[in-house]
Amino acid sequence: MSHPDSTTATGTDPRSETGDTASDADDASERDEQSSAAPDANLHATDLRVGYPGMDEPVVDTDTLVVPEGEVSALVGPNGSGKSTLLKTLARHLDAEAGDVLLKGKEIATYDAKEFARELGMLSQHASTPDGVTVEELVHHGRYPHKGFLEGKTPEDEAAVDRAIELAGVEELRTNQVGSLSGGQRQLVRIAMALAQETDTLLLDEPTTYLDLRHQLRVMDVIRTINEERGVTVCIVLHDLTQAARFADYLVALRDGEVYDWGRPNDVVTEELLADVFRVDAAVSYTPTPEIVPKRALDR
Amino acid sequence: MDASLRWTSGYLELDPRDRRLATLLAGSVLVALVAAFVQVSRGSFPTPLGVAFDVITDPDILFNPEVWLAIFTGSDFPDSLSQSAIVIWSLRMPRVFVGALVGMNLAVSGAVFQAITRNELASPYILGVSGGAGLAVLLTLVFFAGATFVLPFAAAAGGAFAFGLVYVIAWQGGTNPVRLVLAGVVVATVFQSLQTGLFYFLDSTAAVKTAIQWTTGSLIGIGWAQFRLAIVPTLVVVPLILLASRHLNVLLLGEETARSLGMPVEYVRFGLSTLAILAAASAVAVAGLVGFVGLVVPHAVRTFVGSDYRRLVLGCLFLGPALVLAADVIARLALMPIQVPVGVVTGLIGGPYFLYLMRRHGEFSEF
Repeated sequence: MSHPDSTTATGTDPRSETGDTASDADDASERDEQSSAAPDANLHATDLRVGYPGMDEPVVDTDTLVVPEGEVSALVGPNGSGKSTLLKTLARHLDAEAGDVLLKGKEIATYDAKEFARELGMLSQHASTPDGVTVEELVHHGRYPHKGFLEGKTPEDEAAVDRAIELAGVEELRTNQVGSLSGGQRQLVRIAMALAQETDTLLLDEPTTYLDLRHQLRVMDVIRTINEERGVTVCIVLHDLTQAARFADYLVALRDGEVYDWGRPNDVVTEELLADVFRVDAAVSYTPTPEIVPKRALDR
Repeated sequence: MDASLRWTSGYLELDPRDRRLATLLAGSVLVALVAAFVQVSRGSFPTPLGVAFDVITDPDILFNPEVWLAIFTGSDFPDSLSQSAIVIWSLRMPRVFVGALVGMNLAVSGAVFQAITRNELASPYILGVSGGAGLAVLLTLVFFAGATFVLPFAAAAGGAFAFGLVYVIAWQGGTNPVRLVLAGVVVATVFQSLQTGLFYFLDSTAAVKTAIQWTTGSLIGIGWAQFRLAIVPTLVVVPLILLASRHLNVLLLGEETARSLGMPVEYVRFGLSTLAILAAASAVAVAGLVGFVGLVVPHAVRTFVGSDYRRLVLGCLFLGPALVLAADVIARLALMPIQVPVGVVTGLIGGPYFLYLMRRHGEFSEF
């Protein structure tokens, strides 16, 4: 699979918006590496406007959004800032009113439905899992975009399902009924299904919400592993800013549907951001990842 | 001995759901065969059981090309047949076969609609088919009283028209299960009212009876002509739905997941609805609006084999005919010489079945 060179499409480097404030030596050296080989955009959106029928104001209105190739990007922002809407637009679940979204340099609307699903996977927040279906059968549905209308299971499908189940660490649940699993186990199984799709890009909408701490960490571990071992580009909506800062390579902070700031977690997570975007008075210390101690909610 | 042992151990190695499916299929076949045998041997023209058995297993009839010709082209049955054979083969047998086709189509159609609307209580009639078919039948009876031969086509066309209308109403840059179901309620309610109003314009008791037969579903007076009418669409639609079962499974995962997996959800949903409407229409065209079969059968099969549609559709293909054939035995023979519409009996069986489910589960499971 060849990756079309998308540097021309990227245009300006959005990181320049963040300014050069970091003085951490570690970060600086990483930055040098980055600037010598500027990350290609896996997903690149320009002048994107997304709204819902019956609403005057668009929910998302961004100039430029870049999801760098091979990295983990996290969308953060308060409730109603348009994180999920933006993610759904990138996944073609919603149509934008205006603007372009390029996946690997190609406009997403021009992909055929199955072709798109072989390139980009999306784990939605809400999904139902039917009764009387085993984990293995559910994960097999991840192979849907790789099959023709009448095609059955192929050895490649079996291999992909085995790999996905192993990566997600749910081997011991393989023959269990999905309906009998706990919320956390079910989420890991859903991730296994998305992994069986074997896409180069994976979007996840709040995959850790409502999970206990242990399962939150397991989910994050799995996502890290596929990013590092398979080079999968990840874009994830996270509720918890501290978690996002610790976990992601890049943060995209959204406010009222606009990109407020974009860059490395240490550059993005500041007391100013917490005040401006999250309307919270908080102290931020870098240890070296940002630690946030919230003090009080600011008045509107 | 060795072979049967191997067979038994093979059976035990099967997935428990496949084992339950096999049991369900065997049970359905048994019920259907017994019901069919009772149906062809009983009636106002008595045929002793032995004679009936001889007639339906007689190789001279089974392999007689003239009999096959009579069944498939509508020519006369050969004169060589005995009177019992004529009664069984030309009067009672078609009713059995048509009943089986009706049960098959309604059950499969209901299963598909339950997946499309993601609602376990959906039936083939949920998208307005019953309203459209009923209204078309009433309109035909009121304005073209003599033209009873067009009733099958009127019913099917009315049902298909109502379905199209439902889709147009529900469409708003796309559809979703809730909007489809609500549009179905809108269309069905309006058409139902018009249909009830039209009853007052019927000028004879016979016409009223015909109308009731169509709106409750009946197999009275069925012949091979109806069989020929229903078999063609069944042979097209049922295999297609069987092949589509993997897509139905993906649709069950929810619209967003299906879309993420690369399914063009709108196309698939419309295509599957069309198939299910065709199945329902071919049942409605020959038997009218037989109720409850399309609702109860998929539901019952699901409690046995789970919601994997590869098993579910197969189970429906067998349990549907079993239910309709058994119900039709009661409809035809229980109150001899009076026959009641089979839809009355399926309703009498279907209602208590749901009562039983309520008592047993307390609530209906969600998909």
